[in-house]
Amino acid sequence: MTQDTSRRLFPNTTRRQLLAGAAVLGTATMFPLVAWADGSRLNVRAYLEPDDYDPLDASGFLEELLYGCIYRKLIQYVPGDQWDWQPDLAESIEQTSPTTIAFTLKEGQMWSDGFGEITAEDVKFSLERHMVEENNSRIKPDLGPFSHVEVTGTHSGIIHLDEPFAPLWTIALPYLAGTIICKEAVEAAGGKITTAIPPAVSGPYRVVEHRLGERWVLERNPDYSGAAADFDRVDLVVIVDDSAAEIAKEAGDVDFAQIGPGSVARLQDSPPPGTRLSVHPSLFYHWVGLNVQNPKFADERVRMAIMHAIDVPSIVQAAFFDVAEPATGIIAPGLIGHRPETIIPPQADPARARALLDEAGIDRLEVNLDVLNTVIHTTAAQVMQATMAQAGIDLNISVHESGSFWSLGVSADGDRWQDLELTIKRFSMTPDPYYATAWFVTEQIGDWNWEQFSNEEFDRLHDEALSETDPERRDEMYRRMQDLMEESGGYRFITHGVTANLFADNIAPATRPDGLPLVQFFRRA
Amino acid sequence: MSAFRHSLLGRLLADPMALFAMVIIAALVIMALLADVIAPHDPGAMNLADRFAPPSATYWMGTDNLGRDTFSRLLQGGRIALYVALTAVTISGLIGLVLGMLAGFGPRWLDNALLFFFDALRAYPTIILALALAALMPRGLSTVIIVVVITSFAEYGRVVRTQTLSLKNSEFILAERAMGASFGRIVFHHILPNVLGPFFILAAMNLPVVITIEAGMSFLGIGVPPGTPSWGATLKDGFDYIRNTPWILLSGGLPLILATLGFTFLGEALRDQLDPRLRKTR
Repeated sequence: MTQDTSRRLFPNTTRRQLLAGAAVLGTATMFPLVAWADGSRLNVRAYLEPDDYDPLDASGFLEELLYGCIYRKLIQYVPGDQWDWQPDLAESIEQTSPTTIAFTLKEGQMWSDGFGEITAEDVKFSLERHMVEENNSRIKPDLGPFSHVEVTGTHSGIIHLDEPFAPLWTIALPYLAGTIICKEAVEAAGGKITTAIPPAVSGPYRVVEHRLGERWVLERNPDYSGAAADFDRVDLVVIVDDSAAEIAKEAGDVDFAQIGPGSVARLQDSPPPGTRLSVHPSLFYHWVGLNVQNPKFADERVRMAIMHAIDVPSIVQAAFFDVAEPATGIIAPGLIGHRPETIIPPQADPARARALLDEAGIDRLEVNLDVLNTVIHTTAAQVMQATMAQAGIDLNISVHESGSFWSLGVSADGDRWQDLELTIKRFSMTPDPYYATAWFVTEQIGDWNWEQFSNEEFDRLHDEALSETDPERRDEMYRRMQDLMEESGGYRFITHGVTANLFADNIAPATRPDGLPLVQFFRRA
Repeated sequence: MSAFRHSLLGRLLADPMALFAMVIIAALVIMALLADVIAPHDPGAMNLADRFAPPSATYWMGTDNLGRDTFSRLLQGGRIALYVALTAVTISGLIGLVLGMLAGFGPRWLDNALLFFFDALRAYPTIILALALAALMPRGLSTVIIVVVITSFAEYGRVVRTQTLSLKNSEFILAERAMGASFGRIVFHHILPNVLGPFFILAAMNLPVVITIEAGMSFLGIGVPPGTPSWGATLKDGFDYIRNTPWILLSGGLPLILATLGFTFLGEALRDQLDPRLRKTR
């Protein structure tokens, strides 16, 4: 029997040879996968997109996620279960008096792109620019009564405060405002770091690409003076939705992702193969805010009726799947100033709410609620809508995407801030109560204080607590401040939530005690 | 009896595909109209103890993340879907009808201007336009309807214009003109009745598209406010909690599939019956 070999692609190839060739080809294609899986690339979920590289524009942890990778600080948080700090750029740093901190930088720590060595002048420039009024730094409160930096040598200096500042070691230096940037590079760029040019960096990674709305691509910084990073490349992948983040993790698109509370119980019981789950108590705080300056709520009885009509346990059960506890304030358990209980019980009291409305002469109250388009907050809004209806309060819910929502209460972004009624918000937090109360002082109205809460005693206590060194007295002051917030009828505290991280078992993530990632310290397992 | 059999309705009833479509549509309409009577539960009533329940005798299509009965919510959602679809299609159809006839019957410059306008609107992606409008307008059914009207009336306008142009120079119109018929008589007695056939076919085919736009906008969070029982919102809940239960997503998709099938089949059957060329080939 003859074969017509002219129509075969490989006329002299036997089936066995073909199979062997396919096997070799298949094995060969494994090599890029192996190279990828060896941990040379790390993909981390970012729940929103950082604005830019400039600490002046920073608003919270999201920027810290990026800055931690590309910039350094005098000191940094220590990853683990206990809040602590460790020297970073600082060779030595100590509090020499209640208002002075002397530091000496490690020598030979370099900026990228030929900008030379990191000096005390960079430290002075980085901290002092937050205090310049025209710079409009959104994180100026992080530095409290910071005055100036006195440069005493190329690598040494003294940080001066106007008065003692207890959160210096927990907020000011190891968090956003403590980020050191390159004076020469920033001045050359006109005093502002924009996204147009990747900045001069000092951290373990540098920015190579920013795909708007998609990801920040970082790669190992060859000029980094510390121990080399474990990963050649780090992508901060923007995934807004918690469910999408979980799917992305399971599909292998990201190696580390914060997931929603709705998945915690299921994943604790049966985590996907090659995946681990860690759950941490969060410091963040979610609350329902009421604009106390809105004429609709001028009558305190109306404000209190709304507070009594909101059922916190139902919100926690529905939106947080019972993995979190109702909050008693803006300060989480374990921190100075945490209150053991609220003034208004967390359970709704529709009868009390109704009675207050009747006293105020209101038959039916219609209220507008603005929320961010997250599953947690839209779910909470629907629960509120159902429970408030029992007290005769009709709740209209408006959902906004991130950009629109976070401009609602900002006076610089239009007039809407004055007409706000109710909002559900979540703020990030650091391990000092000062960071919680700083956003609710009178000065913050039109910026972060959307409730337009203004109380002289609150403002005074906030200032005094900054320099109070007695922990017991400080604890008492912060408790009182939260009492004042609640008594205003402008705040219904929901929960601190939990931080649940789903990650590949071939990486060793580094997190703060509240579970937030410190990507610069991530290693291969 | 013979007259009925040869009427449009009679011919549609004799067509199995049209009959199937009409049964589906009738069922959806009746369920939407009688939602308050048929619904076994209050569609807004939360019952957290029963959330993510699978279909059962108590909850025919299971429950959502707040323990609300999915079947009852879909019935109410049907009311919203049909309201949006009928309102939006009626308004956009009327606008398209008027503008299309003006373009077809009016002077050349007006035709060119309207044609440019139609094409410009049609070129704009619906969802992008919806996102832009949703950012500027309060969220709700009105916004959904306005988005649908803006994005769809140009299609009607183009079809009507083409029909009008083809009729404008036909012999019977020229004869009417020669006999001194008024503009109104020509338009309302001769052009309009001949334009309505294709117009209704397009409207029927557009209804499921509009329902899908409403569902899509609600899915993206720019449609009806949270808590409002809509098909899109149910699908969104299903997506958000797909890891907890597949039932919300499956149940939410069912009425959309049925509505799409029903109106598409009806549109095709209408086309078969109203388009003379297709009737000849049957």
